[in-house]
Amino acid sequence: MRIGQTLHRYLYIIACSILILSMPFLASADSFEQLRKDSANIKTIQSRFVQKKFMKILAKPLISEGRFYYVAPDSFRWEYLKPLRSVVIAYKDDTRRYILSGGKMIEDKTGGMQAMKIVLGEVTGWMSGKFDQNPSFAATLKEGTNTQITLTPVGKSMSGMIEKIEITVSKKAAAVKSVKIIENANAFTQIDFTDVEINKVISSSVFQDVQ
Amino acid sequence: MKCIHLFIVIVFLASCSTMPAINPPMLSAAQKNFTCPSPFLKEKYQLIHAIEITAAGNVQGAIIGITVADPSTRFVSCAIMTAEGMVLLEAQSDGEKLIIHRALPPFDSGDFAQNMIDDIKLIYFPSQGVMQKKGNLSDGSTVCRWKEENGDFIDVIANKPESTEIKKYSACGTLKRHIKITQTAANPYSSIELQGSGMVNYTLLMTLIEAQQVESESLQTE
Repeated sequence: MRIGQTLHRYLYIIACSILILSMPFLASADSFEQLRKDSANIKTIQSRFVQKKFMKILAKPLISEGRFYYVAPDSFRWEYLKPLRSVVIAYKDDTRRYILSGGKMIEDKTGGMQAMKIVLGEVTGWMSGKFDQNPSFAATLKEGTNTQITLTPVGKSMSGMIEKIEITVSKKAAAVKSVKIIENANAFTQIDFTDVEINKVISSSVFQDVQ
Repeated sequence: MKCIHLFIVIVFLASCSTMPAINPPMLSAAQKNFTCPSPFLKEKYQLIHAIEITAAGNVQGAIIGITVADPSTRFVSCAIMTAEGMVLLEAQSDGEKLIIHRALPPFDSGDFAQNMIDDIKLIYFPSQGVMQKKGNLSDGSTVCRWKEENGDFIDVIANKPESTEIKKYSACGTLKRHIKITQTAANPYSSIELQGSGMVNYTLLMTLIEAQQVESESLQTE
């Protein structure tokens, strides 16, 4: 159960970061208050992503690819296509994680679903643009060539897991750019987003069909 | 009191098994030319595997395992992480000293890191023990048996051209680890199955994602 909780806390960080990044409206935001207003317009998000894991042990970064879907208020699908196929689906108060085994997707028994529900509750808060009101993080916003939001964990729940999260939004492209989750001086995860589509209709089957 | 001691001895003996008999090569020429199977690393390598965990007959989950192993120094550095990139455990051993860089629950408990590094060494490094026997098993497989300093026995068995097995027995012959290494032309560690027996029986099915020779350790930066 503890691994499930830890995993889902981590998934929560990624999900929150993505949701923030997937808001093209952020490009023009210059305050958290403005972000809150802009976020109210987000109904759906879908995107592809490339995740690069940097660690001292790795001679070169480990690259994973996947896709992400979100429908307000609480349906999401976070899916890795390679190198290790896995998917987390949250739909109608039910959250499950699946892995590829023997050619078919089977449920991951290590997951802590109760923890995942808490995570999704938090995500809803983030979707409302309340990322400066989450007691788990201290948030700062910096304007420059790109807009950069830095989230720093303040509670013990992230202690030893995450040092900080840097979210970069391209002003020029007015769209998602990247999330950098820094674990420590020797390890971080960079997620770069492409093909981001906002408020495009997403079929409910995306959250029902695992394959 | 004597009954208790007798009971303990009986239980101990009952938990012991007989290791497979090894028949020496029949011909003296065969004895001279006998080569022990050696599926082990020859150079320092980094290997990344997708690892499927099975316990109690059911698949429990999947993780990514990263190993850097240097056979010349018996140095091992390893990490396990989720598909999402969350590092659950990172540790290294230079052969004697174990250093744990990071261990999240439940991987922070007991001797988990040490056992994991011992398993990695069993897969990638030859035994440092004393050769006990070499020859053939009853099915004709080629086998060499070493006795480790702690009393354990290690059998390395070649039974098919593309497959090698490693078995680790306790001092009294109980099977503790059974490793099946299936190689392809591309890489000798394409598929590794590790069965662990003990307090908890488990199976790890490791499928190679990436392998590369490592010249020196380097820190990744953007």
